[in-house]
Amino acid sequence: MKPLSGLGWIYLLALFTFVFAPIVASVIFSFNSDRFPTLPLGSFTTDWYVRAFGRAEVWTAIGNSLIVAAVTSFLATFIGFATAYTDFRYGFKFKQAYLALALLPPTLPLVIMGLAMLAWLSQVGLSGTLTGIVIAHVVLATPFAMAICRLRLSQMDPSLEAAAWNLGAGQWAAMRYVILPFCGPAIVSALCLTAAVSFDEFIVAWFVSGLNRTVPVMILEILQGNVDPQINAIGTVVFLTSMSLVIAAQVLIFRRRRDG
Amino acid sequence: MADPTTEPLVSFRSVHKAFGTYVAVKSLDLDIHRGEFIAFMGPSGCGKTTTLRMLAGLEAPTSGTITIGGKVMNDVPPHQRDTPLVWQSLALFPFLSVVENVEFGLRMRGVAPKERRDRAMLWLERMQLKGFETRRIDQLSGGQRQRVALARSLVTEPEMLLLDEPLSALDAHLVIRMQGVLTRLQKELGITFVYVTHSQSEAFAMADRVVIMGNGEIAQVGRPQEIFRGPKSRFVAEFVGRNNILGGTVKAGMLETAQGVVPVPAVRDGKAEIVVAADRVTVSGARPEGAAIRASFLSEEFAGTGIICYFETADGAEWKAQVTESQLATLQPESGQEFWLSWNANSAHVMGG
Amino acid sequence: MMRKFDPYPHVWRLPLLLWQGAFFVVPLVFMAALSFWLVKNYRMEPAFAFDNWERMLGRGAFWDAYWLTLLRACMAGVIASLIAFPASLFLAFHLTPQGRRFALLCLIVPFFTSFLVRAYAWQVILAESGPVNAVLGGLGLGPYTMLNSGFGAMVGYMTLVLPLVVIFQTWSLAAIEKSLIEAAANLGASPVRTLVSVIIPAAKTGLVLGAVFAFIMTFGDFVSPFYLGGSKPPTLTILIIDTTKSGQQWPRAAVVAIVMILTLFAVATAALKAAYGRRG
Repeated sequence: MKPLSGLGWIYLLALFTFVFAPIVASVIFSFNSDRFPTLPLGSFTTDWYVRAFGRAEVWTAIGNSLIVAAVTSFLATFIGFATAYTDFRYGFKFKQAYLALALLPPTLPLVIMGLAMLAWLSQVGLSGTLTGIVIAHVVLATPFAMAICRLRLSQMDPSLEAAAWNLGAGQWAAMRYVILPFCGPAIVSALCLTAAVSFDEFIVAWFVSGLNRTVPVMILEILQGNVDPQINAIGTVVFLTSMSLVIAAQVLIFRRRRDG
Repeated sequence: MADPTTEPLVSFRSVHKAFGTYVAVKSLDLDIHRGEFIAFMGPSGCGKTTTLRMLAGLEAPTSGTITIGGKVMNDVPPHQRDTPLVWQSLALFPFLSVVENVEFGLRMRGVAPKERRDRAMLWLERMQLKGFETRRIDQLSGGQRQRVALARSLVTEPEMLLLDEPLSALDAHLVIRMQGVLTRLQKELGITFVYVTHSQSEAFAMADRVVIMGNGEIAQVGRPQEIFRGPKSRFVAEFVGRNNILGGTVKAGMLETAQGVVPVPAVRDGKAEIVVAADRVTVSGARPEGAAIRASFLSEEFAGTGIICYFETADGAEWKAQVTESQLATLQPESGQEFWLSWNANSAHVMGG
Repeated sequence: MMRKFDPYPHVWRLPLLLWQGAFFVVPLVFMAALSFWLVKNYRMEPAFAFDNWERMLGRGAFWDAYWLTLLRACMAGVIASLIAFPASLFLAFHLTPQGRRFALLCLIVPFFTSFLVRAYAWQVILAESGPVNAVLGGLGLGPYTMLNSGFGAMVGYMTLVLPLVVIFQTWSLAAIEKSLIEAAANLGASPVRTLVSVIIPAAKTGLVLGAVFAFIMTFGDFVSPFYLGGSKPPTLTILIIDTTKSGQQWPRAAVVAIVMILTLFAVATAALKAAYGRRG
């Protein structure tokens, strides 16, 4: 068993290296002086950061991204929670179709989603606006919020809500004083995760955005023109932002597990 | 104690409850009196929990009426009733402390923070939970949680408390202790307890009246002793206690059965079934006087009250007899060995009579 | 008796129906309708014509792209499953539950990092004068051209799908009753025999789902073929983007999109049937 176990660790390490190599590399390259990095590395520099964040359009894009992510996360978490609660509490005709509507969007290729969104939003006059990006991102992020909230609800004793009614709470009061407190950590975690989904999404945003670019759309456009390690600098900041959101979400998921 | 002379607290009148095509409760007619400890007992799926949930307003009857205190309650939502329930799972709120759990009902009724805290603390004291008020629910033992659940239900001082198999998750020794706590509490408060259980010992130990349910219908209602000694149907006889059932035709005070002819208490001629409780059966090698049948020994089982011996009659019916340890030592039964099972003819109960 | 209208359930049920209805179902239906519209003088006009369909499906280039995309997606599903499987076995059977959970949480991380930035990092790493070729050069090998090729695209696909495939496989492998495996060993089955006739059939659902998701993600990815695969020959996604972005030919792009959706639907249905179908 021993040698096999050693081989296993090596294999696992190799796989993780492959998966994380581009993430680590882009962080390293962002502090490397070479325009076309290779081994051995050039000298340490923060030049790319200074240049990237000296551009006004980067700040505009960051602003756009933050607005879109914030609005998206609130809407997607609300819809996701409402859907999870509906699934938890009610049985009805066509529930399968209802749940399919809730879970299908992530399986559709983003390019197709982008095209459909672009066509429809131009039809209703919303293409090229931040509103259009938010609309599309909520469609994409809602399933994640729904999944997280549903998971939390499935950990709840189903008689808890009825117990609240039994003790004199109406439906709204039971929601306010029992369901919401119970789902609290999941809701915060859904807010973080949906914000991260929105913050990273670039294909649909690229189709829909027009002149109102978000950060990843800007990266995409830089990539199509003159490639420049500024991308690594911006990418590292984007990476750190989404990572903080995802880690915050996971810490919350973990803590609530311990609470039982 | 229950006072049947006054107006009943709860009345079920031809109450039906169906879930789709499945009928959970059919034509239920029953009065529950003020101050009585009534237990609903039956196998799972018999409709006892549905009945309790209808009382709490968690299910609405499909037809019929339920009145509480003279008021028709069919369409009153649960939160507008005063029918607190102690849940099988206890359903304590895990995100609230002990005292916050207890004061929940008062909070929902808009009682001021100071007053509701005081009243909750009083109940914690009464349930010997003083000092635990700031604990989280998962830091309590099973028995303590049980008492928190009771305090939470009773803090609003209801006229009636509903209990849905509240002891089923507890260890055996705790069950006996909690039975004592519950009966004492019910006497002290003088309110109605409606208790649902599948456990015969819990129901018979605590209740003033027991309702046996089967297939959504009431099979028998009565005091524990009445039901135990006088089951009205085969279903009840098989469900409560260790009973033996013998069927046949009565002719002139004698029951003719496949096992032979045995004397029975006075009853008119025709088809009849008699019930002989296991603790009234004597096992002997030689044929005794009076009522007796022949059966072969299968096995024995140690029960709390003695030893239960299992027998099989020639036509395949199972018989049980309760014997003492010394009797068993004398008999030294072996598997397949034949014995006479006898009883005092007057101790047999004729069903349907 | 008349029941009063209760808004409560609708407050929770309707948001999804309204939002996904208006912004997911309707756009897709509209896109389907759009595929029958006509473009005249750079303006789209509502119509019901098969013009776009005939033009796109009649083009050899379209079918070249179709088969290329399908082939790559199938290859990615198979390759990713094969690469992931030893790692998943190890994660499922040699790690403690805590270790396994931590490893899987780590694998969720890349999902939330910009795939674009990762693709760009690969561009640098795999470049003619990049770090990989520098190392190989030190060993007296290369330099190799890895970018703008099928290989480059496959590196991108693997970056995208491997974490998910490992997660699916590990979940289903870890869920196998340990007693089942012990029983097989007890009955004298060799480790290989146990793997083939006990472990793989028992974990079938996760293995198939992993491969299917790899297929779906690869089929719809445009970053890998565009930035690492050199965009020529084009895949269906590149075709959609080219057709949409240059020349206002949205109806023709819609045709490609619908063909893609139908293909995905067919593959997913068949695979789910295989995954959840009766076992051995």
